[in-house]
Amino acid sequence: MRRRSALTSVLMFLAPFAVLLVLWAALVPYFQVNPRLFPQLGAVVEAAIEAGRDGSLWAHVGASLLRVTVGTALALLLAIPLGMAMGVSPAVSTFLTPLFRFFSVLAGIAWIPIATLWFGYGFGAITFVIFNAVFFIVAYNTLLGVATIPKPLRHAAASLGARRWTMLTEVLLPGALPNIVTGIRTGLGFAWRGLIAAEMIATNVGLGYMLFVARDFYRTEVIVLGMIVIGVLWLLIDRLLLAPLERATIERWGMVQRA
Amino acid sequence: MKSLRVRNLSKTYFDPYAGTKVTAVRDVSLEVAAGEFACIVGPSGCGKTTVLNLVAGFIPATSGEILLDGRPVKGPGPDRGVVFQSFALFPWRTVLDNVAFGPKMRGIGKLEREKIARQYLALAKLSDAAGRYPNELSGGMQQRVGVVRALANEPDVLLMDEPFASVDAQTRMTLQEELTRIWQEKRPTVLFITHDVAEAVFLGNRVIVLSKGQVLEEIAVDLPRPRAWDVLNEDERFKALTGRVLQLVRAA
Amino acid sequence: MNPLLKTWGAYVRLSSRWPAIASIVPFIPVLALWWATTALEIFPRVFLPGPAEVVRAFVDLVYKGILPEYLADSVVRLAVGAAWGIALGIPLGVLIGVSRSAHRALWPLLLFFQAIGDIAWLPILVIWFGYGLTTMTFVIVYTVIFPIVLNTVLGVRSIPINMHRAALSLGASRPRVLWEVVLPGALPNIVTGLRNGLGYGWRALIAAEIIVGTSGIGFLMFDARRAGSVVEILLGMVILGTLWYIVDSWILAPVERATGERWGLVTR
Repeated sequence: MRRRSALTSVLMFLAPFAVLLVLWAALVPYFQVNPRLFPQLGAVVEAAIEAGRDGSLWAHVGASLLRVTVGTALALLLAIPLGMAMGVSPAVSTFLTPLFRFFSVLAGIAWIPIATLWFGYGFGAITFVIFNAVFFIVAYNTLLGVATIPKPLRHAAASLGARRWTMLTEVLLPGALPNIVTGIRTGLGFAWRGLIAAEMIATNVGLGYMLFVARDFYRTEVIVLGMIVIGVLWLLIDRLLLAPLERATIERWGMVQRA
Repeated sequence: MKSLRVRNLSKTYFDPYAGTKVTAVRDVSLEVAAGEFACIVGPSGCGKTTVLNLVAGFIPATSGEILLDGRPVKGPGPDRGVVFQSFALFPWRTVLDNVAFGPKMRGIGKLEREKIARQYLALAKLSDAAGRYPNELSGGMQQRVGVVRALANEPDVLLMDEPFASVDAQTRMTLQEELTRIWQEKRPTVLFITHDVAEAVFLGNRVIVLSKGQVLEEIAVDLPRPRAWDVLNEDERFKALTGRVLQLVRAA
Repeated sequence: MNPLLKTWGAYVRLSSRWPAIASIVPFIPVLALWWATTALEIFPRVFLPGPAEVVRAFVDLVYKGILPEYLADSVVRLAVGAAWGIALGIPLGVLIGVSRSAHRALWPLLLFFQAIGDIAWLPILVIWFGYGLTTMTFVIVYTVIFPIVLNTVLGVRSIPINMHRAALSLGASRPRVLWEVVLPGALPNIVTGLRNGLGYGWRALIAAEIIVGTSGIGFLMFDARRAGSVVEILLGMVILGTLWYIVDSWILAPVERATGERWGLVTR
């Protein structure tokens, strides 16, 4: 019974898209929309096949994903320990919170101009923007997460003999995890958008670049293809990475209710 | 105030988790005369809340009728006022505005409806709370507001869904006595749902025992009014009636 | 007593009297660090100018009238976009929150289009509308609308069902229930959605201005990049951060808190 309902829910999720596709296939030719304004469904499919065959699609997707992965990994490696170190002391976390809130506002896109100045065009600048987007938000959320662990929990652990390292890994890290995961989700969202934006102006490969260059030639079918790929990729990241992460930590441990 | 008559009321629904149909209410018939205070008691899951939701019109019946003074009713409406276990006061409105809500829906002007609201608040001895917001009041006070809010709209029938289950025991006794006092003044037709047997006997003219979606028995309560806890707790007739009802409920 | 503790104690006491202190003092070390780094020329001046130069550029641009004009442009665009986002987002959110069929039909589409993100729309928007206000407004509305709709839906769904029923049994018609119960009941969440939406909208605006803008703070930064003038880039970033920080901390956050407290009982 559970498998059947999983299938039905997937189908129900996809149904509105099916309707949309049918409308697209029917209305665009019916109104004889200028292909320079909006492409036909068939044109997008063709563009997809072509880009897949000549490898350009994979090159763009690969470049984008690589940058996101590297930038995010670096950011997490630095942000989580730093956030935890700062969050442990109430004085430090209270003092630093306004700073982190300020820098969270700038996270990502606002750094593009200066990043291209410092690192030139290409991988460095873009990865920096991504790093930036994830770093500040995750550090801030980690700090909050550690700082808001109820005192009784820490005291309980201490009175049960937990010392520095154990306290860190068995109490502080799990306790802060809901906030950390929320931070990862938000940061990754900014990073993804920052990625696309940066790729539009600072490089010659990647999904953002693919969109931007297609605009110059009015190749709307490539643009729409790119938009769909971007949307699908983010949905995949969300469903296959973020949601399971949240389910495995937050919901399992009952700390945060499902929205 | 009108009389309430329920005829052959049934409610079946499909439970997706169980994968089967469930009959919550099975061919229930009962009558509450105009101005009478009737209580429905029963164990958890006996269908009493469903009966109330059906009479209130919040859920549609599978079969059967609900009649006010002989006229069938469907769907919710101001003719059947409801008092909820969770109070359901509007937190963004003051106490006065909450009580004036019903008259407002009927299109009564501001001055007039505030006057009505104040009258009813005075009835519940809550005049001082008129300008406060619900979350500033204690649970007991909030429920008193809930009661007069329903009454201020002058419904034909007053439906009460375990209204005192969310307050502590002492407050509950005070509220019960308050309710009988207010009832004696205004004499609404009341259908009161509870799982508390003593409460049902204390409040009602008649106690209807429900079990597994069906009416088991009806017991008349002819204790004199006004009723007070310290008196009735010593009263033999009260104890006998309570015992009898409790027996029925536990055997169900 | 340890002098560090004494200072900390004084700081806590002062900032509880004047909350502004807690918002400003933490930046002093950062500014000091910045100044020290540039004074010691750890990075070439071309890469990282000092605070003094940024202030000078600020004064200069204000004097020339460029900064106020760009700032006004940016703010106006955000306001227009936000207004549309609210006007469209709240009714849509109420509809999806209240109607199960609307939810089934629209929710998957909402998630997907949110996933595409506003930035990805820029190329095709430029084809359709060119580089003007319409493109900017579309991007901002697109960004702002999702947090507003999602939070409105959440707010609508968190209203306990008894509140609907209470209104109905007090004689409210279904449309009136929407106006008298659903909207007020969802208000705290709507305000949260608004706050989030404005935050995203502000960032989207800057992104759009950087990529396709012809004026505004984002454009200022992009143009400065082209001219190789780091000072103005930094100035732009400082203004961005400060402006949003002020609006969010001193206007939006208190409003959100106030509605949340009043409505305390609705969401559980």
